[in-house]
Amino acid sequence: MIRLKAVSWRRERREGAPVLSNLSFDVPQGGFRWLLGPSGAGKTSLLSLLHLENLPTDGTLCLLDKDVTAQTPRAVLVRLRQRIGMVHQDFRLMPDLSVADNVALPLRLQHRPEDEITDEVHAILKWVGLGECIGVRASRLSGGEQQRTAIARAIVHRPGLILADEPTNALEEPQAHKLLDLFGELSSMGTTVIVATHNEALVRRLPRPALVLERGRLVQDGA
Amino acid sequence: MALPFSGRKDGLSLSEALPDRSLFVLVAMMSFLAALTLTGATGARTLSTRWAGGAAQLLTIQVSEPDQPLIASGKTGKTTTQQTRADTVLADLATLPSGTQVHRLTQEELARLLTPWLGEAGKTALPLPAVIEVRLAEGQEAPADLEQTLSTHVPGTVVEHNAEWSTRLRALAESLLACAALALATVGGIATLITALSTRAGLSTRRDIIEILHGLGATDSYIAGRFAWRTGGLAFGGGLLGTVLAMAPLLLLFRMAAPFAASTLQASSTAMPDWRTLPDLLPGDMLAGLAALPFVAAFIGWATTQFMVRVWLRRMP
Ligand SMILES: Nc1ncnc2c1ncn2[C@@H]1O[C@H](COP(=O)(O)OP(=O)(O)OP(=O)(O)O)[C@@H](O)[C@H]1O
Ligand SMILES: [Mg+2]
Repeated sequence: MIRLKAVSWRRERREGAPVLSNLSFDVPQGGFRWLLGPSGAGKTSLLSLLHLENLPTDGTLCLLDKDVTAQTPRAVLVRLRQRIGMVHQDFRLMPDLSVADNVALPLRLQHRPEDEITDEVHAILKWVGLGECIGVRASRLSGGEQQRTAIARAIVHRPGLILADEPTNALEEPQAHKLLDLFGELSSMGTTVIVATHNEALVRRLPRPALVLERGRLVQDGA
Repeated sequence: MALPFSGRKDGLSLSEALPDRSLFVLVAMMSFLAALTLTGATGARTLSTRWAGGAAQLLTIQVSEPDQPLIASGKTGKTTTQQTRADTVLADLATLPSGTQVHRLTQEELARLLTPWLGEAGKTALPLPAVIEVRLAEGQEAPADLEQTLSTHVPGTVVEHNAEWSTRLRALAESLLACAALALATVGGIATLITALSTRAGLSTRRDIIEILHGLGATDSYIAGRFAWRTGGLAFGGGLLGTVLAMAPLLLLFRMAAPFAASTLQASSTAMPDWRTLPDLLPGDMLAGLAALPFVAAFIGWATTQFMVRVWLRRMP
């Protein structure tokens, strides 16, 4: 479950209006939310709070049933992060590692047995259509291939919360639809999913509640 | 079905992704320099202790017409004794405190000493004085009246005190030692700094990787440990290469310096030692210092990385 109460966030050493101000909303476990709003509204910034890359400047944040504050021990944040799958807008792959090694990272950080990792990675890469690219370096991939690798890495360890920032902008329509179906399925199986997008056709295809941001404020809270 | 994973020697297959070879080359160069300086300093110390210690303890006594019988002058006039002049001096020297070594140079030793100046003529019938080397025990001083005693007993005996020499040598030795220490400290400081800086430069290009791992839920100690292990290994390799490369000029230098480091006239020889005996001539603590160099380099790389990575990670929640 996710719960935000009056959450604000400003960049360090920045004057002026906060990037996000006074956000309050709930997403139940297994809920699916679109995250919408014009460019620069703060979608990526909100996802960075939910991914614990940044902590709120004000307000309270509750993630996966844990309250997160500035006092939360780093070890607790680390364990929470392991339970979140994030697809960044800019993919953030390790350029010198192969596709398989990139996707294996979350599993290896959890010290899973290597043969289990091999099976999982192989299955997920086949599913995203990268079965042929397993040994290719991430830096040699096309944009769409990189995005699919990033998606595979975000879901391979069955996280309790999936955050996806424009996860389909480099994909062709059939692939985008396939991904959307997967997200819907994962959500119905109990995974909380939040997907930021500009793609209205996509939203129409999977009608679910939307969080709508405008200049850092929530204008629709998805309830 | 096997996956073409790039291997997981380091648990995450990060070896491909971590700081690059420029660190290796820089550390190799710095270790080369440090090894040379270390050897220079050791050489300077060896020479200076030999000079300062050796020269002060050494007396050289020349007895002219050594093999003539001694003509003793007493109250009853001149009498000829059975003892040669050289033997008389040797007998007198035997009364010096115990621990004193007295050695009369043999004809061959004399000839060898003179050959550079006189050529083979050294072996001819030139009337050579006896040369007696007196090495006093550590901390001992020659009796102040030794010279007088000897020349009364055996007129024409010359005692060469090395005292004045030794004061100068000791001053020279001390300044040499100070220079060596300064050079060692400077090179050590620079090497540390360069290693740390190049580690930092190598890491800063990998900062995005640190952020990615952090975002995936890796602990600080895990990330810092992986990176430190990698840079430590690279620095160790560089240190090893630099030290090994420095060994060639070092051995050459030590071989050439060996004759000058000899402590006594007898031991001195103009010949350079055989290559095979060379390792025995190298001071043990210098070898230990050289052997330690790669480990020191590895530690600097490791510690810098641990520090840098943890500082960066601390800026993220
Ligand atoms: N690195 C940065 N430094 C300073 N300001 C930034 C930075 N990144 C984003 N911003 C600002 O923060 C605000 C929110 O940006 P954010 O990236 O969250 O928007 P977004 O909704 O994700 O936009 P988009 O749809 O274009 O991805 C914007 O006003 C943007 O200008
Ligand atoms: Mg964005």
